[in-house]
This record gives sequence, structure tokens and C-alpha cells, in this order.
Amino acid sequence: MASVSTAVGNRSRTTTWLLRILVVGYLLMLVAWPTGLIAKNTFEDGFGGMQRALEDPDVIHALILTVKVSVIAVAINLVFGVGMSLLLVRYDFLGKRALSALIDLPLSVSPVVVGLALVLVYNPRYGWLGEGLHERGIDIVFATPGIVMATCFVVLPLIIREVVPVLEELGDDQEQAARSLGANGAQTFWRITLPGIKWAIVYGVVLSLARSLGEFGAVKIVAGRSIGNMETATLLVQREYQNFHEDVAYSVSLLLVVASVLCLIVVAILRPSEGSHADPQKENK
Amino acid sequence: MSIEVRNLNKRFGDFVALDDVSVSLPSGQLTALLGPSGGGKSTLLRIIAGLDSADSGSVSIEGTEATHLPPQKRNVGFVFQHYAVFKHMTVAKNVAFGLEIRKRPKDEVVKRVDELLKLVHLSQFSHRMPSQLSGGQRQRMALARALAVEPTVLLLDEPFGALDAKVRKELRDWLRRLHDEVPVTTVFVTHDQEEAMEVADEIVVINEGRVEQVGSPDQLYDEPANDFVMSFLGEVTHLGGVSLRPHDVEVDAAPTAAGSVEGTVSRLVRIGFEVRLNVLTVDGEEVSVVLTRTHARSLGLEEGSTVFLTPADGATVIPRMVAAS
Ligand SMILES: Nc1ncnc2c1ncn2[C@@H]1O[C@H](COP(=O)(O)OP(=O)(O)OP(=O)(O)O)[C@@H](O)[C@H]1O
Ligand SMILES: [Mg+2]
Repeated sequence: MASVSTAVGNRSRTTTWLLRILVVGYLLMLVAWPTGLIAKNTFEDGFGGMQRALEDPDVIHALILTVKVSVIAVAINLVFGVGMSLLLVRYDFLGKRALSALIDLPLSVSPVVVGLALVLVYNPRYGWLGEGLHERGIDIVFATPGIVMATCFVVLPLIIREVVPVLEELGDDQEQAARSLGANGAQTFWRITLPGIKWAIVYGVVLSLARSLGEFGAVKIVAGRSIGNMETATLLVQREYQNFHEDVAYSVSLLLVVASVLCLIVVAILRPSEGSHADPQKENK
Repeated sequence: MSIEVRNLNKRFGDFVALDDVSVSLPSGQLTALLGPSGGGKSTLLRIIAGLDSADSGSVSIEGTEATHLPPQKRNVGFVFQHYAVFKHMTVAKNVAFGLEIRKRPKDEVVKRVDELLKLVHLSQFSHRMPSQLSGGQRQRMALARALAVEPTVLLLDEPFGALDAKVRKELRDWLRRLHDEVPVTTVFVTHDQEEAMEVADEIVVINEGRVEQVGSPDQLYDEPANDFVMSFLGEVTHLGGVSLRPHDVEVDAAPTAAGSVEGTVSRLVRIGFEVRLNVLTVDGEEVSVVLTRTHARSLGLEEGSTVFLTPADGATVIPRMVAAS
């Protein structure tokens, strides 16, 4: 807040206060209060709701599936995201700008559309690829791989958009120095490039994780109507809510909120350390 | 001959950065690549190091054909214009990098790093991060890092370019001494003619992607191959169709020498022991002249005096090329 007041130091105090009240009020109405109400409703009659939820095998299954899908999707996104970032920043090739634009697609396309597209390609009955795969005993859509793919699609830009600017800022001076000192490509990557971008990667991973845990639209479509074994936490919340099991819905929602808040806290802790790592070491170029 | 560069060509799009460059850089010597900004010095150095590739031509290092070798196989030490220190490693780790890549035994690495840090006067900073060093210290660390792998050649790209004049001068003297102690074939890029003249055994003058002249500092100064080299290595003025140095213009109060050019002193500035004149000749040429204060006084010079100018005996004189000036 200190920096805010200095930034607008030449404005009148009243304006500053009005702005603050406006912002805080907005956040309160939109975010804090509704989320808080979830906590309140969860514990309306003590820990009973939460206990009922955690004893329900469907809930446990959904939570495990969600964590599994998220971890796999984030792991894939990690490898792919770092690779793509390197490709985009360090190499020149035809269609680079098109590719760069394509990476932002998941941010602009509705996840529901993503889900539908995946179903079209991979569904086992009339899918473009799905039919052949199904005959070989591989199911993508209406199975875990489909959910993982949908999640991967949605989190695709999150690591790349964190790592690319850091890579650009870093430049390739250090990498060239490493090469001239005898390091091959892999050694240069592990010893020089990776330490330089590790905070960006961690940040991207945490964001991806938070996003994966909460994904609903795309997963809803690819999971299909097969209730039960392909149900992630968000899908379960919706179903339980519609079936008037509000206590279970609130409890699982709260767990999701807690997970997200934990992710945000991790990010908040990382952010300043990222800053203090980069700033004093900036060279006077 | 240690580094042989043959018919190198390099383009960036339409722009010709190196135009059929051939040069031999002798073993064990300190060679300067000298030239104006954008002349192609860094490009040439980077191609020698393998950090860039040429469009055509060849490079051999100590008799090894290196044109298509990746940088890590060339055994070349490279010091970058902007240091390129490894920011996340301590000074000692930076210096040890090349040795660790080569999987040398731990105690050997420690010993060698100690030696090198002593050599570059950074022993007490071995546990610091590069961000805690001054520019000059960082550059010395980069030098130690490059020397650690015992390179066959050491390439320095404007090693002191980003430093202030005083530190530059110190490091320059220090580099010369270091080279005398550890006589590894060294090539360094600079656009500062004084730096090149003072430090180098041999100078390669590069301009607009071409080698203008190769020679010792004295040769370049005394026998410049063309107007460009002459003007790049010091002040140049023009008198009666030739280029020469301002201090090589003989000034007389009377037309004693044959072929002297008459003119009027249009400006006279005293700087310490020397006097600088601008003389407007009867042909309409503006000639700058430098002479000692004593000499100026003995001639009784002041603004408006009539003087007669001739090239001094033994002066370096080359025909003036209209295009180059
Ligand atoms: N990667 C590149 N892409 C396009 N043009 C380049 C590239 N690298 C260098 N050039 C051009 O090639 C020319 C020579 O560049 P180079 O860096 O070799 O100059 P230099 O002699 O080292 O100059 P300076 O003293 O300013 O460092 C310059 O005109 C530069 O603009
Ligand atoms: Mg350069």
C-alpha cells in the first residue's frame, strides 16, 4: 500500500481513499465475500458436512482423479512449455510468429469448445482418430487421457508465457560463454539456462497446477456422461449441488479453494524472491 | 601461424558484414582487431570462436581445420564485451566451469582456480557472487574463466569497452603483462586506436567488412596503406594533395623551401606545450598544424600571420584519396 500512496502522492487524499474503497469493495463483493460464504456454509453444522464428504467414496475418487490428472497435465506442460519457450526465443524458423500466436489460443477459446474439438477427433465411435485407436484398445475421450489432454490444452500458455520473457531478458550471452568453455548443448541447458529460468518455471508450474485443479468446461465435455469413474472434483461439485447435496458440494468446493489459495501463497512467496534474485544481478549493459 | 582465416564471407540478410576476409594471426602474439563500430570485428572474432558460422571460407586454429567444429571443440577462450558472467554462480564457480565440464579431479580444479584468481587479483572475492563485483573485477573474472581451460587461443571482444578510462588503462597494462607471463595467442577487438597501439604486437585494421591493413603498430603508423588507416590511427590533415599528420607540417615565416604553400593563420590555440593552428591556404584549403610552443614563439605566430607550409622531411605522407575523406 505504501507504494500505491507514493505513486499517487500528488493526488488529493480523498481521491486516494475513494479509489481504495472502490477497489477493496469490488474485490470484497466479487471474490472475498462469496468465497468466505463457501467456508461458512461448509461449516454451518460443524464438521459434519466435511466428514460426510470425505467418507463418500465418490468424493475420494474425484479428488484422487483430479490430483492425478493435474499432476500429469502439469508435468507434460512443464516439458513441453520449457521446450517451446526455448524454441521460440532461441531459434528462428518459418512460422514462428504464427506459432507464438497459436499458443495464446487456449486463453481466448472457451474450454467447452476445446472439449468438443477433442471429442470430435478422438471419440471411439466416429472420431477422426478415435475409431482406429479404439480398435487397438486405446480410449482417449471419455477416459483419463482425454481429461489430461483437455487440461493440457487449457494450461498450455501458462508456463510459456512466464518463461519466454525471462529467457529474452536473460539473453544468450551466458549460454555462448558456456559453449566456448566446452559445454555441449545439454550441459549448457542444465547448468546455465535452467538456473536462469527456474523461478519463472516454478511460477508457471504453480499457476498451471491451480488452473488444472479448477478446470471444468473442457473436462465436462470429454468426461462424457459416464458419472462416477471419470468425475473430477469440479464435476462432482456441480452434480452434488444439483442433487441438493449442498454440504458435500460446499466441502469439496472449499477444498478446491484451499488448494488454490495455497498455490497463490506459494506464488506470493516466490515472487519477491524472484525479484531479489534478478535485480541486483542485472548487469549494466 | 596460429589462426588462419581464409576468404571468409558473412552476410546478414543483404548486409555484407565480412567481405572475403583473409588474415593470419601469429602464434604467441597479442593481436588487435582495430576498426570503427560496425566494421565486422566482433563478427570475425565470433566466427573464429565458432559462435557464428561464415557463409563461406575457412578457419584453422593451430593447424587444425576448425571451420565446421562446434565452439566447445575448438579449445578457444572467449571473453565477451558484456562479460557474460554466470550470474548464479560464485566467482570461484565461474572460473571452475570449464574445468568441471572437462571432469577434472576436484582437488586439481580447486588448485587451478586458486592460481587463476591470484593471477587476476581476485583471490579475496572467490566466494562472492558476480553481482557484488565491480565492472573491472567482473571482466578479470571472465578472463580467468577463459584462461582456466588452457585455451590454444584467447579471444577478447572489446574486453574493456564498458569500463571507464582509468580502469581501462590499468587493465590494458595488466593484460599486456599477463600476456608476457602467460604467452597464449591472443586476439582482442577494440575500436580505440591508442589501446591497440599500446598493447598489441600486431594490428589488423578492419573497416566495412574488409581488412584494410595488417602490421605492427609502428608499420601502421609510419606506412599506412591508405587514407583510412592513416586517419584511423591518428589525426590527419591535407596539404597540397597529400594526407599527413598535423605535427609533420613544417611552418616557416618566409617562402624558403621550394613548393611551400602560402596561408594565413585563422585560429591559434595553446594546449600545454603545444600550439595548434588552423591555416587557410591561398588554394582555399584548411590545414591543421601542431607545433611546439617554443617553435611558435620563435616564429612570432599569431592569428592573421602569413605562413608558408611544407611537409616535413621524413613525414608519413600518402596521396589523398577523395573518396575516403
Ligand atoms: N545478428 C546480426 N544480424 C544482423 N546484422 C548483424 C548481426 N550481427 C552483426 N550485424 C551487423 O554486422 C555489422 C558488423 O557487426 P559487428 O558486431 O561485427 O561490428 P563490430 O566491428 O564489432 O562493431 P562494434 O565496435 O560496434 O562492436 C554491423 O553493421 C551489424 O549491424
Ligand atoms: Mg563488436
